[in-house]
Amino acid sequence: MDLTKYENIFTHESERYLKELDDLLMKAEEDVGNRNLWSEIHGKIHSIKGMARALSLDKITDLSHSMEDWCKEFQQGTTEATSNAVQLLFKGSNLLRVLVARKGETDYYETQRRYNSLHAHLKDGPKAWKDKAHHESPPLSPSTPEGINQIRVKYSLIEELLGLSQEILISERRLPTLSHEQLNPGLKSWLDHYRSLMKGLYFRLAQLRLMPVGDFADLFVKTIRDLSKQHNKGIRFEVIGGEVQADIALLDRLREPFMHLIRNAIAHGIESPEERVSSDKATEGTITLEVRRQRNSLIISIGDDGQGINRSAITRHLRDTRTMTDAQIQAMSQEEFFNTILSPEFSSSSETTDMAGRGIGMSVVAQAIEYLGGSMTIRSEPSKGTEFIIRLPLSLSVIHAVTFEMGTYTLSIPTSNVESIGRREHLSPEDIASSYDFRELLGVNGGGEVLYTLKLRHLVEKNGHNRKDGDIKLVVDRIIGNRPLMVMPVGELLAKVRLFAGVGIMENGDISILLDVENLPQVQSSSIGKSIND
Amino acid sequence: MIVADKAIEYVTFKAGDEYLGIETLYIHRVVEEVNVTPVPLVPTCYMGLMYYRGEVFGVVHAGSLLGNSEATVGETPRIIVLKWSNKKLALVPDHITGIWRVEDNKGGKASFRFQDYTVRIVTPEEIWEKVSGLSYGPHEV
Repeated sequence: MDLTKYENIFTHESERYLKELDDLLMKAEEDVGNRNLWSEIHGKIHSIKGMARALSLDKITDLSHSMEDWCKEFQQGTTEATSNAVQLLFKGSNLLRVLVARKGETDYYETQRRYNSLHAHLKDGPKAWKDKAHHESPPLSPSTPEGINQIRVKYSLIEELLGLSQEILISERRLPTLSHEQLNPGLKSWLDHYRSLMKGLYFRLAQLRLMPVGDFADLFVKTIRDLSKQHNKGIRFEVIGGEVQADIALLDRLREPFMHLIRNAIAHGIESPEERVSSDKATEGTITLEVRRQRNSLIISIGDDGQGINRSAITRHLRDTRTMTDAQIQAMSQEEFFNTILSPEFSSSSETTDMAGRGIGMSVVAQAIEYLGGSMTIRSEPSKGTEFIIRLPLSLSVIHAVTFEMGTYTLSIPTSNVESIGRREHLSPEDIASSYDFRELLGVNGGGEVLYTLKLRHLVEKNGHNRKDGDIKLVVDRIIGNRPLMVMPVGELLAKVRLFAGVGIMENGDISILLDVENLPQVQSSSIGKSIND
Repeated sequence: MIVADKAIEYVTFKAGDEYLGIETLYIHRVVEEVNVTPVPLVPTCYMGLMYYRGEVFGVVHAGSLLGNSEATVGETPRIIVLKWSNKKLALVPDHITGIWRVEDNKGGKASFRFQDYTVRIVTPEEIWEKVSGLSYGPHEV
C-alpha cells in the first residue's frame, strides 16, 4: 500500500498543529497556571501523536507521548507548571518539527543526540525538571523558519478575487470608444497587453477552484473508519484516479450524496466478516472510489464488493406501487430496474427493512446529481457488489470548444467532439442533405441557407450505441472560433432541457451554452431536429 | 440605517400590473449593466443567463412569469439577484419602486398597502416553484 499520500497529509496537518502548539506555548509562558491552556496544548500534541502512531512513526509517537504526560500533570494540577517547563516543551515542539519534516528519521547524529537528551528529560517528569537549576541539554539555537511554499486560503477569498477580476474584464467593455487619433499605436498596444494580462489572471484564478478528487476522498477516510467500527466490519477504502481535478464547489455538493452512498454500502452492502469468509471472500470489504475523465464528462463511481442490492424489495415495490406484472418487470433493463431505488416513492417507502435500506434517501442523492447537470447509473450483481456511476459535466475545467451561433444563441461543442467544420460552398450535396438543422428546434428563424456544418466525432450514445465519425452534422449560422471555456454546472432548471452539458464562460466573460453531444443523437433520431432535406 | 428588531424590509417592484415585495434577507444584490445571454428551449419568461462575480444566475422576467399582460422591461434593466437555501435566481422587474419597512409582520400578512398601491409579498421559493414548474426542453414538432 502506498503511504505517500497519507504521509503528506500527516506532514501538512502536523505542521499546522505545531504552529498552533507554539502559539499556545507562548500564551502559557505568560500564564503558566492556566489549566484550560494546558488542556488545549495537550490536545494538539495528542493529535500529532495519533497521526504518527497510525503511520508507525515511533520516535514522533514516543516524544509526543512524553510531552503529553507533562501536559496532563499541569492540566490536572498535580504538578505546578513553570516557565522552565514551557521552555522544554518548546524544545520538544522544535524537535517534533524536525522529525515531522524527516518523517520520523533521526539520521543525523545531532538530531539523534537531541532526541535522546530531550526524551530523557521528559521521561524524568516535570517534578524532577522543576528541581533542576538549569537543564543539561544544549540550548537550541532559534532556527530560521522554512521557506513558505504553501498557504491555506479561504475558498470565499478565491471567489472574491475571481469576482473582482471578472468585473475588471466586464468593465473593460464600458471603455468609451476612442477615435483613430486618440487610439495611437502605443495606447492600442498597452490596451491589448492589459486585456491579455487580465484574461490570464482571470483564468488562473479560476483554476484555484480546482482540487484533486483524491483530496476530496480523504475527507471520508475517518468517517469510513468510524462506520466500520460501528458496524463491526473491516473496510478498506481505495481511490483510483485521485489526481483528476474538479471544481471545489461541485465536490462540495457531492459531499452529502457520497456520504449517503458510503453509509449505505457499509450498513447494507458489505457483509459481516463471518458472512464474507463463508462466501470465500476476504474478511475485509472494499469500497472503491474511482475517478476518470471521459471526453467532456467527469465520471466518479463508488462501488463495494458486498452482497449487491437485493432485487426482491425492488420487485415487490414495482408490483405493489407501480402495479407492474412479472413479465413487465422482467422486460426492464438492468439500469431501469435498479434506478427504481432513486424514485421518491421508493425512498419514502414504508418497507424500510434492511433489504430496502439501500434505497433510503436515494432520491435525495439523485436530485443532488441532477442539480449538477449529471446522471447516475447503478450496477449490481448478487454476491459481487454494487457500483454507483455518476457522470457529471466537466465543470470548471477549462476546455477548448468550438463556439458558434444559431440565431441569437451562442453555443459550443467541445473541440474534441468536432471532426471538421465545413463552409457551405465546400460542402458536398450529400453532406448538406444529411445535415441536421436544429435551428427550428431552437426557435430560430432559419431553416434556409446552410452556412456552416459541424461534423461531430464518433459518439457513444447513452444507450450504448456507437456512432461513426461524421454521422452527426450540425448546421450553424456563424462560427465564432475555437475558444477556451470555463465550464460551470447548468443548474437545476436548465438541467431539465437535457441538451446542455454545462454553461461555458469565455475569456471575455461572455456565456456560451455547452451542448451535450451524447444526447444530440436522441434528439436527431426523434425527428425533432430536421434534416435539411425535410 | 438602524432597523428595529422586529422590522422587516422588503424590496418592492412592479411586475406587469402587480406590485410585489421580497424580503431583503433574500436579496443578494441589485445589479445593472450586466449582459443576459439568451438560452434556447426554455420558457418565455426565462430571459437567459448572466455571469456575475464568478457565478452564473438564471434570469427570469417577473412580469412574464406571473402572466401579467402589461409587463415591460427597460433598456438597461436593474436585476434583483436572489439567494436562499442552496438556490439562486435573478429577477427582472419592470422597475424597482423602493424599499419598504414593516415594523412587525408577526401575522405573516400576504400583502400591504404601500403609497397608492397594494404590494403582494412573495418568497423566492414561490417564484422558484413557478419557474421550475414550467416546460423546458424540446417539444414534439
